[in-house]
Amino acid sequence: MNTIKPKISKPRFTDDTVGLVLRAKSLWHSYNQKNFVLEGVDLDLKEGMSMMVLGRSGSGKTTLIKILAGLIRPSRGQVEYFFDRDATPSSRVVAYIPQNLGLVRNLSAIENVLMGVLGRTPTVATMFGRFRAVDHEQAARLMADLGIGDKIDKKIWHLSGGERQRVAIARALIQNPRLILADEFVSQLDPVTSMEILAMVKKLTQNKIAFLATTHDVLLAKEYADFVVVMRNGKLIMPAAFKDMIIEEIMKDGYE
Amino acid sequence: MSKRFPTGAGIVIIVAILSVASFINLGLLDVSRWGLAFRNLAIFSRELSPPRWDILPVLLPAIWETIQISFAGTILGFLLSLPLAFLGTHTLFNQLITTVARGLVGAIRTVPSILFGIIFVIAVGLGPKAGVLGVALYTVGYLAKIYYEAFEAVDGEVIEAVRSTGCNRLQLFRFAILPETFNTLISQLLFMFEYNIRASTIMGFVGAGGIGYYLVGYVQMLQYQHLMMAIILIFVVIMAIDLVSFRIRARISAPRY
Ligand SMILES: Nc1ncnc2c1ncn2[C@@H]1O[C@H](COP(=O)(O)OP(=O)(O)OP(=O)(O)O)[C@@H](O)[C@H]1O
Ligand SMILES: [Mg+2]
Repeated sequence: MNTIKPKISKPRFTDDTVGLVLRAKSLWHSYNQKNFVLEGVDLDLKEGMSMMVLGRSGSGKTTLIKILAGLIRPSRGQVEYFFDRDATPSSRVVAYIPQNLGLVRNLSAIENVLMGVLGRTPTVATMFGRFRAVDHEQAARLMADLGIGDKIDKKIWHLSGGERQRVAIARALIQNPRLILADEFVSQLDPVTSMEILAMVKKLTQNKIAFLATTHDVLLAKEYADFVVVMRNGKLIMPAAFKDMIIEEIMKDGYE
Repeated sequence: MSKRFPTGAGIVIIVAILSVASFINLGLLDVSRWGLAFRNLAIFSRELSPPRWDILPVLLPAIWETIQISFAGTILGFLLSLPLAFLGTHTLFNQLITTVARGLVGAIRTVPSILFGIIFVIAVGLGPKAGVLGVALYTVGYLAKIYYEAFEAVDGEVIEAVRSTGCNRLQLFRFAILPETFNTLISQLLFMFEYNIRASTIMGFVGAGGIGYYLVGYVQMLQYQHLMMAIILIFVVIMAIDLVSFRIRARISAPRY
């Protein structure tokens, strides 16, 4: 009934899904019923694993991420999420960070982070801007861990690009997700700051939260992801290619 | 072989022809009538002065009532337009609900404010109560439309980011749509209040309270100097409110990045 909630299909556990957090099966997508933006994408993500999707502008990275986040329905194919049968309903399975972060500029940093717990807070309380004390504590702790503990009450439009990126990460982490989907992660930041933030995310998610990001920074992808894949014209090439891939090969395959 | 006519020039020529045709039909180009009109206007304006300052004690409470009608009507209209705009937003509701909400708003907007005045005078009797209700409905017709358009213009990424947390519609509205459009909502509300001073003046024409009642009376009894006084007063009040409201709007709509 609630059409605004992202739709996620029920998982079917089988032997070959052990340890999987997500499986996308032959995803096709078209925005105009004519040309396809995605042409049969298959993707398996294991628990706690980090993967980066490289690809040039227009190759379909954002489309793929939105489909995985349940925000748009693929024209064909499906996405299945696998999580523990005893997972509490209070933990969101998938957290999504859009290309431009999608922060609400007129609200404070911590209010933006607390949006991550809207789904597990009574509606009436949230209407008055009230959240549970434990959620408040978790938000403050995450922000401190991410180095923005002193910016808690600052409005978003007061913050620098790097600080905004950290707010978006905190908003994702507070959802206690099994998977974080990040579109064009840290791509608007300088190289030093992006490395620093990626290292931080790696520390916070290590072996617990799967992480899938798109980027156009080949070096960054190789440095921080367990797996790098390349998207070209709606197809994933080198599926699950390992991070020992030579940069030149990636460049040749994805960017020529 | 047809040579293509420049579209811009074509539109200008069509508009020019239509204008001249309607001027002729409506008698605007009838020179003899113009002479008469100017003579009458001259007599009228001579009789307007000097304004009767001594009737201020009568007019001040009346214009104060007009200001209150505008204020109360704008606030009431604002409160009614929020839920209608909420229901009219495609980001939040399906085609059926938005169409019904927008249809209602459109229907309200079709009715001229003076007709609302008449309807409420019939419904609740003469006096400012009818004026407030009239101004309120008139306000809904405009504010609700401006508001649902503002709600829909909120950056899609912000909507998606908040949606993806698993919130419901009310929460999406409270945490994404409302804060992102807050400045627009307030500045449009102030603009509506400014605008409604005029609408409230008109309410008096049909007995729905305020200074409009005196305006009509002075015209009917040919008391042009009284009329002049009332017009000066309305002018001063409108200028003052426009100025204050402009200052506030300039402050809240300063760009923030
Ligand atoms: N909402 C939409 N409606 C119609 N076409 C769209 C829409 N979104 C994307 N497209 C088209 O789909 C194709 C892939 O877009 P997508 O945003 O997925 O690419 P991308 O790899 O994320 O690019 P970038 O690196 O520039 O962000 C493009 O050709 C784009 O024009
Ligand atoms: Mg993109």
